[in-house]
Amino acid sequence: MEIIDTFIPVAIFLIFGLVIPLAIMFIVKQLSPRSKSPVKFTTYESGSVPSGSANIMFNVEYYAYAILFVLFDVELLFLYPWVTVYMNDVVLNNVPNFTTIFSVFAMAFFMVVVLLGLVYEWKKGVLNWVK
Amino acid sequence: MGTFVELYDGIMELLVVLFSTWALAPWVRGVLGGLVIGAVFGGALVMVYLERKFLGDIQSRIGPNRVGGRFGVLQLIADAIKLFTKEDIIPAKADKWLFIGAPIVALTSGFLMVAVIPFDLLVINGKEYAVAVSRMDISILYLEAVSGLAIFAIFMAGWGSGSKYSLLAGFRNVAKMIGYEVPLGISIISVAVMAHSLDIVEIVQAQSTLWYIIAQPLGFVVFFIALLADVGRIPFDQTEAEEELVAGWATEYSGMRWGLAFFAEYLHAVVGAFIITLIFLGGWNGLPLIGNLNIPGIFWLIAKTIMVIMLFIWVRGALPRYRIDQVIDIGWKVLIPLALLNLLWSTIIGLIWA
Repeated sequence: MEIIDTFIPVAIFLIFGLVIPLAIMFIVKQLSPRSKSPVKFTTYESGSVPSGSANIMFNVEYYAYAILFVLFDVELLFLYPWVTVYMNDVVLNNVPNFTTIFSVFAMAFFMVVVLLGLVYEWKKGVLNWVK
Repeated sequence: MGTFVELYDGIMELLVVLFSTWALAPWVRGVLGGLVIGAVFGGALVMVYLERKFLGDIQSRIGPNRVGGRFGVLQLIADAIKLFTKEDIIPAKADKWLFIGAPIVALTSGFLMVAVIPFDLLVINGKEYAVAVSRMDISILYLEAVSGLAIFAIFMAGWGSGSKYSLLAGFRNVAKMIGYEVPLGISIISVAVMAHSLDIVEIVQAQSTLWYIIAQPLGFVVFFIALLADVGRIPFDQTEAEEELVAGWATEYSGMRWGLAFFAEYLHAVVGAFIITLIFLGGWNGLPLIGNLNIPGIFWLIAKTIMVIMLFIWVRGALPRYRIDQVIDIGWKVLIPLALLNLLWSTIIGLIWA
């Protein structure tokens, strides 16, 4: 119930976010002049006629960054719950064999493993934008 | 001064009593939260004006000085009228739904961020009440999550515009953002490690003795740089580098559609300034040693936020833009190691304190 109470305002804000731009664009539709000409709807390319399609394929190098990002972001997701429990009295008293120092060292070990991954990628040259 | 503080306390107490006893409170809070959106939106407008004025000063120009007296205070209203009466153009080559959707996603992301920003903490009859539209126990994680939606907005605009400049800007934005989300997240965690909580209210309360900018200056520097990149301001505005990409992802946008995207950007910058203030500059706590001088916390928060916004503007006036490869290098090779170092530092300091 409390969680629902927390997210009701968020849901209302979501509706605001969808409705307000549409309402503004509706007002603009009423106020703005309308004059159609085919030239007006061409893509801007510094005055010359656009050539080819803009929806090109992109460089596969982006994937290396994307995979690295996923790696680091998932690692961060493990850290978020950890910061809330590693010094929480309720957890420390009720979970057997769980101490602050133990959990800090466990997380440090985890971070070192992930860091090794970053160092490896770095040495391999994946992080170089210009190859 | 005394009467003013009493008035403020009285109003707040009334609101708190109203909202803590009323069953429909979450709904009403959500709807009234629209006023908070309006206020932050107003803040974004003020930021645009301040930026134009101060950039003018920095560059030895006058800045807006025609509309609304010598200081051009009504310039933005004139601009808004202009935007409202301009024709709405959707290019023939554009993907219509992505093109329309991009500013909406950007604005929605900004609005959702406003929902959890706490402005003050009141103690009434021994119970604590945060002045926020919605108080979550994971609010800092939530903020990071919804701010990530803005990345989609820019990529939607880049892909949907059907223009090469826009698409390049979209690519650049994704590459930049995924590099800077990581140090941003790590510095947020460094703060949370010290506060033992993901709730912004508790993070601010943990700073009542010492601001985190003093406890972990490195974290502040990393967070500030990553946030500049996150909100896409100079020196990290490669996505709309006008010398290289015309106007980047906004090339095909015009009239009010551009205006919406533009305000979404400033909304993000203002919310970003609020986040910096809340998690590093002590939020609604007064100055260290001096205390809060009997001024309500919300005024401290807003004063500090304006300072941070000024810093944004100053940085914009003082620094040139990085090249895109330099940006990526800084993100992965400098900020991430520094952020991890700071995480180590804050964990050790936090353990020593506790």
